[in-house]
Amino acid sequence: MADDDITRRDQAGEVGAPRPAAEYESLLPGKSGLGEILAPAAGFGVTFASMFKPTVTEQYPYEKVPTKPRYHGRHQLNRHPDGLEKCIGCELCAWACPADAIYVEGADNTPDAQFSPGERYGRVYQINYLRCIFCGLCIEACPTRALTMTNDYELAGPTRRGMIYEKQDLLAPLGDGMLAAPHPMVPGTEDDDYYRGDVAGPVPEQIDWVAQWRPEDESLAALRPAGHEQSEAR
Amino acid sequence: MGIEDAPSGFLLTTVENFAGYMRKASLWPVTFGLACCAIEMMAAGTSRFDISRFGMEVFRASPRQADLMIVAGRVSQKMAPVVRQVYDQMAEPKWVISMGVCASSGGMFNNYAIVQGVDHVVPVDIYLPGCPPRPEMLLNAILTLHDQIQAEPLGVNREEAARAAEAAALEATPTSDMKGLLR
Amino acid sequence: MTTTTPKTGTSGSTPAPADQVTFTIDDVEVAVPKGTLVIRAAEQIGIQIPRFCDHPLLAPVGACRQCLVEVAAPDREGNVRPMPKPQASCTLEATPGMVVKTQRSSAVADKAQHGVLELLLINHPLDCPTCDKGGECPLQNQAMSNGRGTSRFHDVKRTFPKPIAISTQILLDRDRCVLCQRCTRFSEEIAGDPFIDLQQRGVKQQIGIFDPGVLGFAGSEPAEVYRGVQPDGTPISAATGLPSTDPADPAGPAGMATVDTSGRPFASYFSGNTVQICPVGALTSAAYRFRSRPFDLVSTPGIAEHDSNGAAIRVDHRRGVVLRRLAGDDPAVNEEWISDKDRFGFPWQGLADRLTAPMVREPGADGTRGELRPASWAEAFEAAAEGLAAARAAGGVGVLPGGRLTMEDAYAYGKFARVALGTNDVDHRARPASAEEEAFLGHHVAGSRMSVTFADLEHAPTVLLVAFEAEDEGGITFLRLRKGVQGGRTKVFSVAPFASRGLERLDGTLVQAVPGTEPEVLDAVGTSSESSVSAVAEALGPEAVILVGERLATVPGGLSAVLRLAERTGARLAWIPRRAGERGGVELGTLPTLLPGGRPVADPQARVDVGAAWDVERLPAEPGRDAEQILAAARSGELGGLVVGGLDPADLPDPAGARAALEAVGFLVSLEVRASAVTELADVVLPVAPPVEKAGTFLNWEGRPRPFPQALTSTSMADHRVLDALADAMDVQLGLATTTEVHAEIDQLGGWDGGRVAAPAAAAVEPPALGAGQAVLATWHLLLDAGRCQEGEAFLAGTSQRPVARVSATHADRLGIASGQGITVRTPRGQVTLPVAVTPMADGVVWLPTNSVGSAVRRTLGVDAGAVVEVAAASTVTTATTAADDGGTL
Repeated sequence: MADDDITRRDQAGEVGAPRPAAEYESLLPGKSGLGEILAPAAGFGVTFASMFKPTVTEQYPYEKVPTKPRYHGRHQLNRHPDGLEKCIGCELCAWACPADAIYVEGADNTPDAQFSPGERYGRVYQINYLRCIFCGLCIEACPTRALTMTNDYELAGPTRRGMIYEKQDLLAPLGDGMLAAPHPMVPGTEDDDYYRGDVAGPVPEQIDWVAQWRPEDESLAALRPAGHEQSEAR
Repeated sequence: MGIEDAPSGFLLTTVENFAGYMRKASLWPVTFGLACCAIEMMAAGTSRFDISRFGMEVFRASPRQADLMIVAGRVSQKMAPVVRQVYDQMAEPKWVISMGVCASSGGMFNNYAIVQGVDHVVPVDIYLPGCPPRPEMLLNAILTLHDQIQAEPLGVNREEAARAAEAAALEATPTSDMKGLLR
Repeated sequence: MTTTTPKTGTSGSTPAPADQVTFTIDDVEVAVPKGTLVIRAAEQIGIQIPRFCDHPLLAPVGACRQCLVEVAAPDREGNVRPMPKPQASCTLEATPGMVVKTQRSSAVADKAQHGVLELLLINHPLDCPTCDKGGECPLQNQAMSNGRGTSRFHDVKRTFPKPIAISTQILLDRDRCVLCQRCTRFSEEIAGDPFIDLQQRGVKQQIGIFDPGVLGFAGSEPAEVYRGVQPDGTPISAATGLPSTDPADPAGPAGMATVDTSGRPFASYFSGNTVQICPVGALTSAAYRFRSRPFDLVSTPGIAEHDSNGAAIRVDHRRGVVLRRLAGDDPAVNEEWISDKDRFGFPWQGLADRLTAPMVREPGADGTRGELRPASWAEAFEAAAEGLAAARAAGGVGVLPGGRLTMEDAYAYGKFARVALGTNDVDHRARPASAEEEAFLGHHVAGSRMSVTFADLEHAPTVLLVAFEAEDEGGITFLRLRKGVQGGRTKVFSVAPFASRGLERLDGTLVQAVPGTEPEVLDAVGTSSESSVSAVAEALGPEAVILVGERLATVPGGLSAVLRLAERTGARLAWIPRRAGERGGVELGTLPTLLPGGRPVADPQARVDVGAAWDVERLPAEPGRDAEQILAAARSGELGGLVVGGLDPADLPDPAGARAALEAVGFLVSLEVRASAVTELADVVLPVAPPVEKAGTFLNWEGRPRPFPQALTSTSMADHRVLDALADAMDVQLGLATTTEVHAEIDQLGGWDGGRVAAPAAAAVEPPALGAGQAVLATWHLLLDAGRCQEGEAFLAGTSQRPVARVSATHADRLGIASGQGITVRTPRGQVTLPVAVTPMADGVVWLPTNSVGSAVRRTLGVDAGAVVEVAAASTVTTATTAADDGGTL
């Protein structure tokens, strides 16, 4: 670029913007006569016209416009149809997380406390929503489809600590016919059967187990109406 | 004697309610966009989301006429003093919303250049997750702040609340010692 | 390709030495010593051949077939002819002119490796998300690098019940196993504890014990499966078929375990190494089960603090909590192995009784001693400084640093005693010790760094163990000795009351000695013609090594006799203490007669030397009291105060007397990591950092400095920093606040080439005569016992040996008891009742573990090895679970 093409301030000698090649000239044809006189008021026409158009404003807190179905909102830890947790505490979500927002600790499933099919369950599951960027890589990493995202986005809160969601905050509520964990797996099944979707719901053995060890469990009430000793949930 | 120094008495709750109502309904945010979140903050001002429904249409260019700072975007170490200065220049009473994960905790930028949470610099009233949060989320955060302002005590009540909060903070387990379920 | 190809001109003109072999791998010419395996040679030029079964420290076996390469070799006419099929490079020795093509240049080798990996993965379960090895798994990595993208196998995988517990600590998941046999080879070749082997054939082939359930014998029970742990960490159930206590050998693991190949319940001190070398997740440890992932962990190199070997370890921690420790790779010291105590014994550093804040004693209003209350560091230092000044005026202050210090901390204790307290009353030996030992240490050990090394043990033709139980007291020293024995180079002799299982695995020869008669036996070497002794005399020569344990200090004349023997035969002599800080203390002057570098206190030149470095006018000249005398003086009120480091009164020869001394002394300052018996008696408690929270250097028994960095972020301070600040409060500048300062000062001080302490010449005492029902007590620590540094680890405790008392067969007959029945050992102080194991050993001797659950010899009996005790059959058969409360340290 030659020196002539750029402006140069006289005093400081700084380099400025390129010098315009020529004086500015509008490409639009100029108005004439009445048009030029009414030009300042013409803009109101737009205003008036829009008064008769439908309003675009969303009345957010009063009427919530649904998000797109695949919107990345708050996470959810899902359950198998019989109520066992899908999360096996493998930490792959934590590994995938680019913002280091997820903390997981696994633990042993024991006969006394079987939370998920197989050997391992997520004992600690925390998502720090002040780190999470809702990118969804954790969802892609999850080998059991335990972690998915909801469309819920109302997350603001007054403390940092409150923005760390624990496992109980993230677990999906019990669906119809689900039995709250912990309880044993469906007899005769392996964890693979759960992943293949071969388990349709709690079986009487599981319901009896919960009835024996946690008779006050709320999920039991729906599955086992008072006075019935056998359930027909399967 | 300002409204902050109102004496105690049976009238105070009513005064509190009234003052809270007035304050929450006329929050004026200071224009303070730092990064991508600012785009969503601007979107909240457009006609689709229309922040003026809550009496907040004026994004003031001067901190002296604003009482809400929406820190929208990651705060770099270089920007931190500016954030603080703008906050200091705002007139009391004033509130801060930390918009987006970068402002709230550094987000995915866990590095030397970014302040790991604007609460290292200014006191934050509402943290808003999201990267960036959609305008509805910002409105939600503002409404949460409105509730907080509405319920804000005044005068002696305020002092009492502050004392109680301080005592609780002294009693509380230090964050570094909080273990929860961890072992 | 960054390796250099030798120029044809040079390789032609200078032929390789006779023992070199030149051949090509992937068109790169490489010269290696004869006998080198192809896979090693490939490593040397940076070519990675995938492998599972190959391990540099184990004999080649060629079990996994993953390392297949295409090979061509010259035939008799010199024509290079390809071998018909790919060969396993881990069992193939390089021969001259061989042409090897790996997967990098040969499609055949690549296809073979893909095929093998596909075969290995056919029955491998998709456990990666739950498997502990996931993320650091060679199978996972090589499936990515050398495997197929998809599996062509669509049938049902073979499964086993999983996992089964081999011991409380080691879990076996046979589904995941690729039958590489690293674990079985380690157990057999390295540790000598063979516990599992291949069984069954074909697709059913699996690792396991000779398990009737697996083999399908009629009426046999299937193996029981590990069912996890309770929330508090204790196992719910563990094992497959633990046999009821075997009457012939009541010793065995304390927890549940499978039987090993010899039919014993499996208990190995080195089983954790199999977990580390398993290339898949088939062997995992119960303590680390599902705790973490490799990408969560921050790894810091470290040095094991449990024994004096200074084994290199890797400390893996997550969020300020140590989750596991792995063996580091240090060919000079521990190779790649560590003992289970080093591997699993770390939770003690983070237990609930950790001291976090300084405490001072608030005197009671009624004139009582009052209670300890937390205080600020400034207040605690002020209180300690005032109290120590007063105590110094009231007769002096003794210093007992304890035997687990780093070099830096030991140096600070020594300097603190001499400069700030003006005394030589400092002794780190928190165990039975003697003046003879002190002279021995000053004469032979101090200043003799690296005179015997681990490599020497492996190559010495003869090793004589005196009062040293290689496995229980030596840890990985045992593995090195065994390596020499296995290699056919080393012959081991042991002067001991009986041949332990460790000695048997060393193919060792027992030179039987009743405790107390060791000097007699040692003096007989070379003079007596008795067969066992004369064999030692023949074998001992200048190349031989004598290893003497710290226990010999309890035998009057023992160390003098060892010195005489070494002089007579020319054999080299090394002293192996149990604790990590003992050797450092000797070198850095925490003994009453020694200044740093082995300078004798009695030598004026040495005092001037040290005084100049420390910038003090004069150092105390009169030799100080040793630990026993310090405690006695404290008890009698001669000493006004005590500064006590990491030391447990229960470890001292007279725990009750020590406790009385701590109670009686006017002013007691305690520097401790965890609350202990000293803490509750102290006037000022200053918390210090455990090894994981400080940087430092251990001196191992060779005298080799073993520096380690700080692993965890911590507010705790190392002892030397606390002592520096305490001295500061006493208006004395030690200048030891940082490790850099300490190192600079030690370097400035340098070595000492002046005179040493004179050799001890203590006379042996006649063994006491035994009355009816009496016996001589023999005792030593088991590797895993009731020590405080093993607390908090239930899984490890389950693999410790059940405590038993040992007597000879005739002795047992005399008492009228058989193996497994109870025996009571009694002194006027107290009694210990344990099941008895009849052992071939000297008559009139009874052996007890020094500090195991139910057998706290010093605390309960108040005596030590060589003492005469009453022995009787127990009135009731008891199990070894009494008096399980507090034990000694380490």
